Amino acid sequence: MDLQKAVKRYIPMSETMFYILLSLREPNHGYGIMQQVKALTNDRVAMGAGTIYQSIGKLEGDGLIVPIKEEDRKKIYAITDMGTLVLRIEAERIRELYRNTEGLL
Amino acid sequence: MKNTKRVWLSAFRYVVPADYEEWFEEQEALGWHVEKIGQWSSIMMTLKKDKPRQYRYVVDMQFSHHKDYIDMYEQFGWEFVGQMASAYVWRKEYTGERPESFTDQENIERRNRRFAIAVLINLVLFSLTVLALVIGFIVTFGETDMGQKLQFILGMALSAAFAAYLWYVWRKILRNRSK
Repeated sequence: MDLQKAVKRYIPMSETMFYILLSLREPNHGYGIMQQVKALTNDRVAMGAGTIYQSIGKLEGDGLIVPIKEEDRKKIYAITDMGTLVLRIEAERIRELYRNTEGLL
Repeated sequence: MKNTKRVWLSAFRYVVPADYEEWFEEQEALGWHVEKIGQWSSIMMTLKKDKPRQYRYVVDMQFSHHKDYIDMYEQFGWEFVGQMASAYVWRKEYTGERPESFTDQENIERRNRRFAIAVLINLVLFSLTVLALVIGFIVTFGETDMGQKLQFILGMALSAAFAAYLWYVWRKILRNRSK
């Protein structure tokens, strides 16, 4: 999948996809992603096995993440260059949202 | 009092994944435990009576078996109960908040869509069977005796009835895809 298609498919991004990509800037496995995201969001986002498995499958199929090794029956994934670009585009969009809602709260 | 009971055609009665999960959980709460699920459990399942338990059940559909799929669920603390064709059944004992495997709407709908696709494939196959039988009946009409004609009619009626049931199931899953 090329960047243009990936941007069309993933932007705006769901919170699940956003946090999985954000988490995989450091290589991690499914269970580790769940723990990291839970810590990042003060337990607000607790992703289940089905959600993580399906999301990882989709991101891997589209080339946004890639498996790099396996440790203790756990597949370790990392974000790809294209995944990083898509994540940055989404972060820019969120920053714009933030700017435009300043003063609202 | 008998300490086992047989349940017939449960997978054909609770066709929406969330409904099937709730049925399993209700049985556990009543003390009827599922020991193991196998290929024929959709037809007949044996439950054993014991103390009531609070379990969360998850029914998932995987067309191809991935080793890391099983590993991932187990790492999250789910117990593999078994599989019926491509339908995987998981459970987890809990207190407090009911645990979820699909924690966002997008992935709940993707799970349900896979069930709908599996039913649709079978619906197409049974519809083609009905069509083939109708064509065969018409083409061989002059050459078959009454017994053979009755066999054709019975085959057509059974296939059509099952295709109609699959149509109903497919529509029901789609109507409940957000569940």
